[in-house]
Amino acid sequence: MKYDVTVIGSGPGGYIAAVRCAQLGMKTAIIEKYNTLGGTCLNVGCIPSKALLDSSEHYHNATHTFKDHGIELSDLKVDFKQMIERKTQVVNQVTGGVDFLMKKNKIDVFHGLGSFIDKNNIKVTDGDGKETKIETDKTIIATGSKPASLPFIEIDKKRIITSTEALVLKEIPKHMIVIGGGVIGMELGSVYARLGAQVSVVEFMDDIIPSMDKTMGKELKKALKKLGFQFYLGHKVVEVKGTAKTVTIKAENKKGEIVDIKGDYCLVSIGRKPYTEGLGLENAGVKMDDRGRIEVDEHLKTSTDNIYAIGDVVKGAMLAHKAEEEGVFVAEVINGEKPHINYNLIPGVVYTWPEVAAVGQTEEQLKESGRAYKSGSFPYRALGRARASMDIDGLVKVLADKETDEILGVHMIGARTADMIAEAVVAMEFRASAEDIARMSHAHPTYTEAFKEACLAATDNRALNV
Amino acid sequence: MSLEIKVPAVGESITEVTIAQWFKQEGDQVEMDEVICELESDKATFELNAEAAGKLHIVAQEGDTLEIDELICTIDTDSAGETKTESSPAPEAASSDKPASEGPKSTGEIKEMIVPTVGESITEVTISSWLKADGDFVELDEVIAEVDSDKATFELPAEANGILRIVAQEDDTIEIGALICKIEVMEGGAPTAESTPAPATTDTSSSTSSTSENETYATGHASPAAAKILAEKGIDPANVKGTGKDGRITKEDAEKAQVTAPKPAAAPAKQEETAEAIAAPGSRNERRERMTSLRKTVSKRLVSVKNETAMLTTFNEVNMKPIMDIRKQYKEKFKEKYEVGLGFMSFFTKAVTVAAQEWPAVNARIEGNEIVYNDFVDVSIAVSAPKGLMVPVIRNAESMSFDQIEKEIIRLATKARDGKLTIDEMTGGTFTVTNGGIFGSMLSTPIINAPQSAILGMHNIVERPMAVNGEVKILPIMYVALSYDHRIVDGRESVSFLVRVKELLEDPTRLLLGI
Repeated sequence: MKYDVTVIGSGPGGYIAAVRCAQLGMKTAIIEKYNTLGGTCLNVGCIPSKALLDSSEHYHNATHTFKDHGIELSDLKVDFKQMIERKTQVVNQVTGGVDFLMKKNKIDVFHGLGSFIDKNNIKVTDGDGKETKIETDKTIIATGSKPASLPFIEIDKKRIITSTEALVLKEIPKHMIVIGGGVIGMELGSVYARLGAQVSVVEFMDDIIPSMDKTMGKELKKALKKLGFQFYLGHKVVEVKGTAKTVTIKAENKKGEIVDIKGDYCLVSIGRKPYTEGLGLENAGVKMDDRGRIEVDEHLKTSTDNIYAIGDVVKGAMLAHKAEEEGVFVAEVINGEKPHINYNLIPGVVYTWPEVAAVGQTEEQLKESGRAYKSGSFPYRALGRARASMDIDGLVKVLADKETDEILGVHMIGARTADMIAEAVVAMEFRASAEDIARMSHAHPTYTEAFKEACLAATDNRALNV
Repeated sequence: MSLEIKVPAVGESITEVTIAQWFKQEGDQVEMDEVICELESDKATFELNAEAAGKLHIVAQEGDTLEIDELICTIDTDSAGETKTESSPAPEAASSDKPASEGPKSTGEIKEMIVPTVGESITEVTISSWLKADGDFVELDEVIAEVDSDKATFELPAEANGILRIVAQEDDTIEIGALICKIEVMEGGAPTAESTPAPATTDTSSSTSSTSENETYATGHASPAAAKILAEKGIDPANVKGTGKDGRITKEDAEKAQVTAPKPAAAPAKQEETAEAIAAPGSRNERRERMTSLRKTVSKRLVSVKNETAMLTTFNEVNMKPIMDIRKQYKEKFKEKYEVGLGFMSFFTKAVTVAAQEWPAVNARIEGNEIVYNDFVDVSIAVSAPKGLMVPVIRNAESMSFDQIEKEIIRLATKARDGKLTIDEMTGGTFTVTNGGIFGSMLSTPIINAPQSAILGMHNIVERPMAVNGEVKILPIMYVALSYDHRIVDGRESVSFLVRVKELLEDPTRLLLGI
């Protein structure tokens, strides 16, 4: 069988690329190593974690805020098995949705490990060892990433686990030690903290979610402490030991002292690494960089003509929506179009509660680049909507050019900021000024008023409700 | 206190006046607006009115010739029988020692000046320079800015007396009808520095904010969809006019934008059809490019020459046969000896230098009130270079031999083509020769290369039937044109110069003998 385009990997980058290629009239195939389509995001990433985050948030509210709302509950308990079961159903629904999209767009799905024979021929080896050969004109590599670890940590997948296992635990941990203060650790840590687990975060840097604006890390840390998180910041993990029932880790603090932390589970969430194993890149002449990522040019083309790569396997933020944009981008490039991706305006979101969302430059980046900027923020507690919902933690911070008032960065922490950040992305794609937003009507009472007010504050320090 | 009355500016070209007679005596009491004296210029006679009431002190006597702005008399207003200080004096007479109470008052009115309609096809103009600074006091009809359109440069006069608040900056390109500046209208003359009224400060901020309504950092920013469309069409967003907020380029703008630049680099094989489809045939685009500074300079200079000189052109025709015969006869030998071709230019240059020495006004220039004659002839040669018109100079052409001239022309033309001419090699020059004939021009009226006084235009050589001794003969004829500045070159001189050039070219032996 000969295809115009073959996509290797069916995550949000890969399947979207395949759909767009098919829309553009190309005969398209997609290769997936696992049984279900959807990749990390749908199977063991965004979707299942959000399912558990929402379930655990409901429980948390039931135990903590319902009473204030005037709702009395007795015998409240977690049916963890059901919680995991519901999550599995959600995953099945969304991966089934991808199956449907493949059929709808007449994309041929091959299950098995895709491996280059040469640049135009790919061998697919399925679970039974059966091989199928695919001839293709163009190939899009979208094989994604997998959890990274440290050389001295042995992931036993029972007590010392990654995010993948954290989504299928059989019990609620008593004390979960999270190594790494990044997004994944904070989200999964939140799930189990809300369900009653003690959570300890060990992070080498001095802040959590260190890539985001410092204010966000500071605010999130406050909120998570309320949830019972314990933070060991500036601590370097030097040893992780697991037994059948316990995990002990040793971490070195800034003074050089060793701290022992004992728990029953250890989540290793120090990041993810590009996944290229078994791809046979060398057979196609596709080069990798020194960090194990596939090297691509500005058109996301690899060192081999006709072979492109997108998503976590190439440089840039490891985010599903970044991969999706790249999937569409490459499909259109192959079709001879000239699409753009504004990498500066890819939003980042942390699905803790309060949620953290950001787009554009952080205050630290602006300072470092020497750009003259002004800042305006607005606290959630001054919002009518936040009061009504008892979600008063959080703030919106808007950074704008000092001279032109152009919005350069928006950083939000609070209820529903994951959805609110979209407005900032739209505004910034059109290079709106803070005053532009301040002069647009925002429905009342909504959380989005916080963005408008922060823009007013940034414009001329004239927020109205504070 | 005493008010000085000076010679007012009475006309563009008038630099001095003579006191014809005094109607009042020294020490007389004069009334405001009373005629006190009669002045004569070389064009007209006019009366001088008293600018205030008071005691007259005559400074310039009858028969004295005074320059514009020189003191004529003073009026001692303190001794006035009745002071009429309320009535404001004529703006020209505004003297610095005027009482502060008489200073201008803000009327509170803001005059918004917009780009006037300057021509049918002109949709936008560029502010080439502000002659007044932001915050300056400007007077009604005073020229405050120079504005470039793609057709011409024009001057913008103030539409009111008052404080200028600049909105469009130099080099900004703005549409017809767009706001250029505001004038905070004032009554009376120019204020002293301290008397700038307080409201001005508040207006500054309002005028800056309205600047941002016209052009901002976001002007010309293409929306994501628009950017993609433009990239595919191969159009630089800078060439698209955005209709979105603050001039942002919307998707519709991008869709309507027409390909003007050369076609985009070949796209991958698959979508060649798409790319083909976009470039529709028979387009009626206009293409706008910013003028290079060289082009701007050239255009400014040419327009100013046309405006500031009394230029006209005289024509003649030259039988080129004798020169062509000489060239035919000596081409090889000349080339052998001097390693350079014998062209027409050396004959023309030589003829011009001989004629110019006989009619020196053609080789002179005006400098202020003086005419500068040159005993040498530095011939500027107009060369069409890739960047535009260049005019390098052959120095002391009168004392050069034919081969030296030819070599110098080749050297300068080569440098011009390579854009390597130095400023030195292009400045000076006392007379210019331009050859439109190389492009096939039959006849033209060249524009003088200021500050020179004349330019000789060569044209193509065409075989024409000529009457020679009562017979029709076919001869190679070139029309020649001499444009000259009638301010210093009279008709007799210019025509005689051109006839002399014709004689020397038709009988080159004269060049040898100097007759």
